[in-house]
Amino acid sequence: MTSVIPTVSAALGVPDSAIHERRQGELSLETDATALPRLADRAVVGLHAKLASLFGSDERQAIGHFLVHHVWSLPGLRTFLHIAAPIDPATPAYPSIAAKYPAANWFEREVMDFFGLVPEGHPNPARVALHDDWPEGAWMLRKDVPDDRVVPRLPGDFHPFRPVTGEGVFQVPVGPVHAGIIEPGHFRFGVAGEPILYLQLRLFYVHKGTEKRFERLPWRHGLFLAESISGDTAVGHALAHAHAIERLADVIVPPRARALRVVLLELERIYNHTADIGAIATDVAFTVPASQAQALREGLVRLQDALFGSRLLRGTIALGGVKHDLPPSGLEALRAHLHAFERQFDDLITVLIDAGTFTDRVDGTGILTNQAARDLGIVGMAARASGVDADWRRDHPHDAYEGLRFEVPVENGGDVRARLMIRAREVEQSLVILRQVLDAMPDSPVIVRLPDQLPGRTSALGWAEAWRGPCTHWVATNERGEIARVKITDPSFLNWPGLVHAVPGNIVPDFPVINKSFNLSYSGNDR
Amino acid sequence: MFRILSNSLKTGVLTEADPFGRQASFGFPVMDFSRCTACDDCVRSCPTGAIQTATPHEGWKTISLSYASCIQCRECVAACPEHAISVSTAIEVAAYSREQLARSASFDIDPSTGRVTLAEIGEQAGPSLAESAARLRERIRGQLSRSLHVRQVDAGSCNACELEIAATTNPLYDLERFGIHFVASPRHADVMLVTGPVTRNMEIALKRTYDAAPDPRVVVAVGACGCSGGIFSEGTYAAVGGVDRVVPVDVYIPGCPPRPQAILNGLLVAMGVREARLGTPDDRHAHGVEAARPEGR
Repeated sequence: MTSVIPTVSAALGVPDSAIHERRQGELSLETDATALPRLADRAVVGLHAKLASLFGSDERQAIGHFLVHHVWSLPGLRTFLHIAAPIDPATPAYPSIAAKYPAANWFEREVMDFFGLVPEGHPNPARVALHDDWPEGAWMLRKDVPDDRVVPRLPGDFHPFRPVTGEGVFQVPVGPVHAGIIEPGHFRFGVAGEPILYLQLRLFYVHKGTEKRFERLPWRHGLFLAESISGDTAVGHALAHAHAIERLADVIVPPRARALRVVLLELERIYNHTADIGAIATDVAFTVPASQAQALREGLVRLQDALFGSRLLRGTIALGGVKHDLPPSGLEALRAHLHAFERQFDDLITVLIDAGTFTDRVDGTGILTNQAARDLGIVGMAARASGVDADWRRDHPHDAYEGLRFEVPVENGGDVRARLMIRAREVEQSLVILRQVLDAMPDSPVIVRLPDQLPGRTSALGWAEAWRGPCTHWVATNERGEIARVKITDPSFLNWPGLVHAVPGNIVPDFPVINKSFNLSYSGNDR
Repeated sequence: MFRILSNSLKTGVLTEADPFGRQASFGFPVMDFSRCTACDDCVRSCPTGAIQTATPHEGWKTISLSYASCIQCRECVAACPEHAISVSTAIEVAAYSREQLARSASFDIDPSTGRVTLAEIGEQAGPSLAESAARLRERIRGQLSRSLHVRQVDAGSCNACELEIAATTNPLYDLERFGIHFVASPRHADVMLVTGPVTRNMEIALKRTYDAAPDPRVVVAVGACGCSGGIFSEGTYAAVGGVDRVVPVDVYIPGCPPRPQAILNGLLVAMGVREARLGTPDDRHAHGVEAARPEGR
């Protein structure tokens, strides 16, 4: 394979020698902070780069400064570009790219909240992660702040929401405790009667300090925490984390384990998509298919329980492979179940889209335009429902996806219907993938031993395209080979702003179904 | 329309007559302290500190296992060189206090040889399961035994517990046949079903929701995080920890996440129609005052 470095260096206008490919599929470049906006422009224009993550790290102890990291996906070159810029602790600021690339908006504000590094030129440099009762200067991800520090609350609890004025217009506050069995978050609707003028989000109610928690756990226990980033994406996050650790340790996962990881990730996709399709039906009060979908989903999680000992596929991924092999009888049971499932799933979709009462509610509801999806850097399934053709299983293949034939469905409507149909079509593709994997299950061990210690002062990116979208984990070690920093990026973090753009112009009673059609994770976002 | 009707007729009733009929492939670890050599391999293997060791004084050592913080990862089962840790298949696990979820044993250490011998199985602190059950029944005075309105509060969960709570409403478990309904407001609720770890940012919302519910409000903590902070631990900058650190808890449903049957069982315990139990070999007493049966069956 020829190196992609010359292409990248030419586009960025830097010498070849400035770019290193320390690990396959991951280019790194150190730069001065002032060059960050210029490099961003060149990466986006010249290489069609998409922002995958943006974060800070506190390296003061080892090298005397902070780092700000931009991680770009370069899908055409099948590589990531990791740009890191040192920030002097005496002048803790760096140039923002959020005005031009809104995907960076929340990321930069989070770096400000947790590290106290100011994004200069940010159009709205307000807090995003810290609520109003956190005092100034509570930079919790800095290394000199212990993870058990009790931070006093500032008095008062009223968040200044954007006012809404005019005759007959008012605000509707919803949450953080919601009416259903869902996660907490606050929505503030500005409405003129039924139609919604705008939606403001207030999240981070379930911020658990997960990234800092990784720094306290032995690295071998990190997977259990990764599974609890977003419970519905246990496999996705465990895989992203395992990939990062395996790349750090420089181990190659055996072929059978790679195949079984694909099985697990696709099963997670199928059971979540099925549940979501049922939930969309529930939110428009179409109970028969809603119940059908719930029953199908229960069948799948019971199968997972029988095959892997966990309904939600926890504890199935191991560092270096997978925890349990599937015996021939298990493969057969899986094949048989999926065969029956496919027919019932087709029935479910037919019942839904043949019902005018259903399509009336979902057609043209909650449109996220292609332009908005591109501008905001929306990822995963929600992006593909708005005509964005991106899927890391194809663009940055991991595990056994490289050798598999599958399509990446794209819908152009951007509405609830499109997000429903993208799920239906992805389930079809998952079944195509699973059949290929089950028919050609390689023979090999399912796990490889990791070294007793990780290499010191190094870092690696791990990623996986989970059902909702791409999950990334950037893992860095200290000089003793312990975890120094884990940056988790859940697709929800990139996609919540998409919901804000899809809702205005719709009526309040349609909000639940629009929200459900995105089904973003609060926990994955808040961590 | 015809298609929907014929589909429904063909499908028939999916609801399982006895939701507790299925066995878990893996419940909680059970320690056989008589075979334990106190080597601490399990302690080191446990990611949440559910297994703890202490040396209160020279020549004396204790080992304890708490289901409150167990995430059922099975690492300890694999780590034990003596094969002294087995797995229970009990699903309907619940308790009325954190202490009731713990098991411990003390060991004598011979200072010259280092040999470890089991001295005693630890006494559980606080009231027994039966005493707590009677207390809860006294508090609710039969008011909840026929119907229960539940307000679910996610106070920090990763959403896995929510998935399994939602699953209790699916056609297979159908918890509504037990008279249990999820309601939209704490003002309508008899029970608060709370998942954790309670975060700093949800602490006030949880307290206010609790205050808004009418007496006798019963609080049920769900999941390892709700019972103890779980993998997120307690007292970090962002996570307060178990639900009982913020509001008083009546029933604990451990597990990561607990299965739908375990959640259903916990709610029946909160209604006073079942008694909590751990389902371990040393917990053989009867299952409940009366076996909960769906109404009309």
